[in-house]
Amino acid sequence: MTGLAYTVTPNWLSRHLGFWPVVTALAFVALVALLVLPVINIVGLSLSGKDDQPGVLANYITFFAERFYYQTLINSLIVSSAATILAVLLGVPAAYFATIYNIWGRGFVRAAVVLTFVSPPFIGSYSWVILFGRSGLVTATLAEIGIPLPSIYGAPGIVLVFTLQFFPFVFLMVSSGLKSIDQSIEDAARNLGSSELSVFFTVLLPLLVPSISAGALLVFVAAFTDIGTPIIIGERFRVLPVLIYGEFVNEFGGRPVLASTLAVLLLAVTTGALLVQRWYAGRHAHGTAAIRPLMQREQPPLKRLLASAYVLLLVGMALLPIINIVISSFLKANGPLLLFEPTLDNYIRLLRTVAVPLTNTLLYTTAATVLCAVVGTAVGYIIVRRPGRLGGLLDGVVMFSYAVPGIVLGVGLIVTYNEPPLILTGTAAILILAFFIRRLPFSVRSAVSMLQQLSRDTEDASINLGAGPGRTFLRITVPLLAMAILSGVLLTWSNTIRELSATLVLQSGSTITLSVEIFTEVVNANFGTASALGTILILLTFLPLVVLFRFLGKQEDALV
Amino acid sequence: MTSTSVRIEAVSKRFGEVTAVDRVDLSVAKGEFFTLLGSSGCGKTTLLRIVAGFMPQSDGRILFGDACIDAVPAHRRNTGMVFQNYAIFPHLTVVENIAYGLRARGLAAGEINERVGRMLAMMRLEHLGHRRPRELSGGQQQRVVLARAIVIEPDVLLMDEPLSNLDTEMRVHLRGEIRALQRQIGITTLYVTHDQEEALMMSDRVAVMSGGRVEQVGTPAEIFHRPRTRFVAAFIGETNFLPATRLGAGGNDTALYDVPGGGRLAVPSGQASAAGSPAEVAFRSHDLIVGPATESGWTATVTDTQFYGATVRLVLELAPNVFAQAALTGAAAQTLPPPGSRVGLSLHSQSPWIFPAKPQ
Repeated sequence: MTGLAYTVTPNWLSRHLGFWPVVTALAFVALVALLVLPVINIVGLSLSGKDDQPGVLANYITFFAERFYYQTLINSLIVSSAATILAVLLGVPAAYFATIYNIWGRGFVRAAVVLTFVSPPFIGSYSWVILFGRSGLVTATLAEIGIPLPSIYGAPGIVLVFTLQFFPFVFLMVSSGLKSIDQSIEDAARNLGSSELSVFFTVLLPLLVPSISAGALLVFVAAFTDIGTPIIIGERFRVLPVLIYGEFVNEFGGRPVLASTLAVLLLAVTTGALLVQRWYAGRHAHGTAAIRPLMQREQPPLKRLLASAYVLLLVGMALLPIINIVISSFLKANGPLLLFEPTLDNYIRLLRTVAVPLTNTLLYTTAATVLCAVVGTAVGYIIVRRPGRLGGLLDGVVMFSYAVPGIVLGVGLIVTYNEPPLILTGTAAILILAFFIRRLPFSVRSAVSMLQQLSRDTEDASINLGAGPGRTFLRITVPLLAMAILSGVLLTWSNTIRELSATLVLQSGSTITLSVEIFTEVVNANFGTASALGTILILLTFLPLVVLFRFLGKQEDALV
Repeated sequence: MTSTSVRIEAVSKRFGEVTAVDRVDLSVAKGEFFTLLGSSGCGKTTLLRIVAGFMPQSDGRILFGDACIDAVPAHRRNTGMVFQNYAIFPHLTVVENIAYGLRARGLAAGEINERVGRMLAMMRLEHLGHRRPRELSGGQQQRVVLARAIVIEPDVLLMDEPLSNLDTEMRVHLRGEIRALQRQIGITTLYVTHDQEEALMMSDRVAVMSGGRVEQVGTPAEIFHRPRTRFVAAFIGETNFLPATRLGAGGNDTALYDVPGGGRLAVPSGQASAAGSPAEVAFRSHDLIVGPATESGWTATVTDTQFYGATVRLVLELAPNVFAQAALTGAAAQTLPPPGSRVGLSLHSQSPWIFPAKPQ
């Protein structure tokens, strides 16, 4: 052999272990420590029995025997299912009209859906209270002229907020599903004699089943695990996640065993929903890919008007709470009462208190986002480029974290890291790690989809030219994916900065974040301050997305 | 140029139940242009990727010169590979693309500049050095990746259907250019293609592959004129297969075969099949001569004439549902028998090949 005219100097690590095996091992360690172990621990605690009643199922028996407990599960299932059904019924036609019809205000619809989607649900719910609550603006105004309004508190209010807050999941999923249907499919159905309505029900709807069910699942899980909304608007209507949270703010000290049992039940429902959706969508998947996607069509004036009115009304309703927050942040407030007096008082009052939560929020969000980008890209690479038993297992574990709700993860991390050898409760690290693990599946999935579009040959060419796996990843793969990684970073940032449910149980006084601060102000009925903080949070959430859609040319369906 | 011979010894590759490469033995001499020819799924690209080190073989071993390279990872094998879809680095300029392998080897900047400069001149890319790949035509991109693979002075140049994404004109032009370049620098080359014309025109030797096995290895002329298996005869060129019965000995040490349409074809005894066993005779369409029908000779009925320009093909029915094709060029293609007419057949001097009949 005459070649190899250059000196071979592999570093110690790659000579003994190889770059990717080491990365794979590190990824497993992180996932086990932050996800698998916490989940195992809460399952273990829930099976540890009770002081006065041994037996592995004792805690579950208590739960299902006492109405105080099991009613929360029933309540949660009722409001989540209702919100899911309504979101599908409202969202599917809206997506259909916005995609196929030449409705007015399409740009506004897109922006409104995105804004609704990224605004924190608890902000939406307290905004509805400002408007339609007991002493709300609309309620009070209408009461003066003798029109009583039904109460917004309890289950109906929760369902209203969840529906309007989460229908964008269905809207975005179905919009992207419609884009994957080829125009020729619809043309063929029309050519064979079907009316528009019959094409929709016999051809489009069946093809959209995977998209609709994916959207429905996201609505259901988001609604089922939300804490803020039921606390703010639910009043005496008690749901499961709030019961878990209650166990942690219990003034007699939390009861980790009970909290764990409740968390396992929550996790069981979300995991079950995820599996059912996977199975159902898999059975109805047709692998459509559009060469020429469905076209937008001119409609007769009346049809156009009605469709536009419907879509605009829906997104307008969804957007109302956000507009309300921004406006009321500039109004004088007296506790929960807003006066029609423009003022900057709310913001001026914030100056003294906002520094800590704002700094914390920016710091934790940035740290978690960077972790997500680095680890997510590496794990996505392993799954796509180095398939095998380990890659498959990694894929499975990462996807499992989809099903783990924030509050469950919070409980799991606390019971795992509140005693030696590693005490993390109350630290900034535990919040950053929780944010990181919650968004990791999204980062991984986005890395997977971008790597699948990138021809493997480009990396092989680099290897072939003598660059090792690590060098190839850094010099070829990462630069080629730079824009896609940046998109992922912006999305992670937007979704992390508003996290509430895990944060509520994991934060201590010094690690308070904006979302917790807003939540506290709302619970204490300081609506003026809450609105000003909410406006800041919405701005921080929305700005990266403006960059994403304006400058990186992303479509809204990148959000889901 | 420092290049080496390549030996592939009993290499197999299995993916679960599927055997993609089945006990392949090949030996490529130093400086030789060697082509793996076959249709998609025959295992040729898999074999090339095994040589490059992108996947391990299930069995067998590979030697560069006398050194077994099975344990050498892909990035240390010192092979230069050209990919079907170019695999140009889109974020790097032409110069950076070509310099990539030299930088990975940690060469000094001065030497990198000098070698890249020489390569740019050789490939006539000097004026494009600072362009990005998206500003280049397909042919220019192909020259960049070729330069990128050659500049590292690889032991072996590996090419995976490098021309299949180009239009016909560029393909014809570049295959001449690649061939000339390979001769000039004398680099051992393993070339993969499904295009028989490309394989025959460019190669010193060709291995025809099918179902993961090597059917035949030989010079282009050997492959074309003396196919050893029915597959090779069918894959290369346009070939007619006719059921045949061995009648007995002909003159001049030949065996005589009876073919549909009353034909008698003589085959050298050494190539004849065992007496009594069913056989097929095979011959090229362009070796079939069409003339006036005779009383006692080999005849057929013209069922269709297909005009291709320089060539005209006649579809001939020799017996009920037994068809053959004749490819006529030049004067023979000027005056064509109309469909339905009876014509007489004979073969050019070259004798037909005999293969055992496919088991029914």
